[in-house]
Amino acid sequence: MSLDMPVTTTSAAPATVAALAAVFCRILELDDVPADGNFFLLGGDSLIATRVLSAVARDHGVELTFEDFLTDPTPAGLAARIAAHTAARTAAAAR
Amino acid sequence: MSAAAGADTARRAPRSVIVVGAGLAGLTAAVELARQGVRVTVLEARDRVGGRTRGIEVAPGRWIDAGAAYLGDRHTELHALLAACDLKTAPTAMQGASRFALAPAGADDHAAGDADTRDGRFPPLSAVALGDLFEQLEELTAAVRPDAPWLSPDAERLDALTVADWAEQQLSHPDATLFFPLFLGEMMAADPARISVLHMAFYLRSGGGLRYLNAFEGGAQQDRVAGGAHRLCERLTRQLLDLGGVLHTDEPVLSVQQTGPEAVVRTPEGSYRAEAVVVAVPPLLADAIEFRPALPAPRAASRTERGCAVKLNLVFPEPVWRAHGLSGWSVNAAGPLLSTVDDTPPEGSPGVLTGFVTGAEAHRFAALPPEEQRAAAVAQASRLFPMLPEPIGFHVTDWVNEPWSRGCYAALFGPGDWSVLGPTLTAPHGRVHFAGTETSTEFFGLLEGAIRSARRVVADLLGE
Repeated sequence: MSLDMPVTTTSAAPATVAALAAVFCRILELDDVPADGNFFLLGGDSLIATRVLSAVARDHGVELTFEDFLTDPTPAGLAARIAAHTAARTAAAAR
Repeated sequence: MSAAAGADTARRAPRSVIVVGAGLAGLTAAVELARQGVRVTVLEARDRVGGRTRGIEVAPGRWIDAGAAYLGDRHTELHALLAACDLKTAPTAMQGASRFALAPAGADDHAAGDADTRDGRFPPLSAVALGDLFEQLEELTAAVRPDAPWLSPDAERLDALTVADWAEQQLSHPDATLFFPLFLGEMMAADPARISVLHMAFYLRSGGGLRYLNAFEGGAQQDRVAGGAHRLCERLTRQLLDLGGVLHTDEPVLSVQQTGPEAVVRTPEGSYRAEAVVVAVPPLLADAIEFRPALPAPRAASRTERGCAVKLNLVFPEPVWRAHGLSGWSVNAAGPLLSTVDDTPPEGSPGVLTGFVTGAEAHRFAALPPEEQRAAAVAQASRLFPMLPEPIGFHVTDWVNEPWSRGCYAALFGPGDWSVLGPTLTAPHGRVHFAGTETSTEFFGLLEGAIRSARRVVADLLGE
């Protein structure tokens, strides 16, 4: 999995951002997490970050690495990563 | 409140108490009772106080912990006791990269010795696989009833199932299978084959959950006691003696008889009488005491086991790994050092690398002759941290075979144990009350649990 995927050119679906915010809420035991809420500043650590990645794999079918997570550990950032991976996969399948 | 403050209290509270065990639970109870005017005698089997805390002086005036060491902000009773004993804490904060030697067992010797360097504490394993593991552990942990695990939903099934069998059923990814026993060793000093799922879930919940129990900063390992955790028991002993209490060391308790107006406690040296007894020793040792009349339920059941921890301290002139950008933290698939941590005293020297040998590996390592233990540990430390010189000190503390602890961090409840032991965990037997970290459903197995168990027993005895 490459780290230099064109994240900025892929826009994340608002529904994905909202779903990830809900995952953050569950795992951080918070009532509300904004789209730009940083997982680590909200009390997360590397151990429970893996739980977010487990949920992403389960709900979105995308296996992100821990480094993917660190790049932008927010609901919006992760949604963009998921969109980039999905786009890359679709492109590869179309080739 | 003094014993004379209220007639009711004075009538109900015992005038004399024998405390069995001069660990943190026993001494906390003893000092508190003595402060309320109770005549207290503490009987300790060893020639020292402190139980599962013990200090090693690695340089003049510089101490490290051979036993229990860590605390976090949620350990409120421990923080209060430290303040009352005029002791300070020192942060465990780690800086630098970690080392991981996680080649699976069975790989050839060369591969098994190779280590990766990584920033932070996250191992070079599949994050999704570890996340799946932690999601499942979280689900179990959230479902357990922390105050009475044997009454949790599905308790019967979870109590009958070993953690190893659970892992076999639930974990499919090799990274999860590899990491889980290491994680459990670190958290609980347990061999997955020997504990129940209910006990694991309870232990994780009791200690504040997965994240809290695992974390250094912001978690249960945030700080150490400056000068060593053993100083707490030393200060409590001084307070006890100043209050007129009595401590007898080298006197293991053989029996507790309560057929007359007082309880009679026998040791090889003689017998002692008091209106109440506080047994503050680990479950396997409490169960070895002869009680007359007999206990209605045992203190340890057929599958109750010793916590499997051997703690190694390697001492070097300086913490040389720091200059190489390393924190001293490592996690390793092969023993003896399944994990290492920088335990250098806050003064900055000598450098101390502490190694944990846990789970099944602890039994194997403990059986080796001392020269082989040292050779294996030093060789592995040098592979992990090639800049290490020959150690100037090497200390092995084998808690597994320590006769007056019988294991560390805490007793491990095997399949079926919670259903036998749970209902009477904190129940007095006549004049006899039970303390010790394994009788605290809050922070079970930790220093904090020991203190909370003592507070409970004191409140019971004083009728508060």
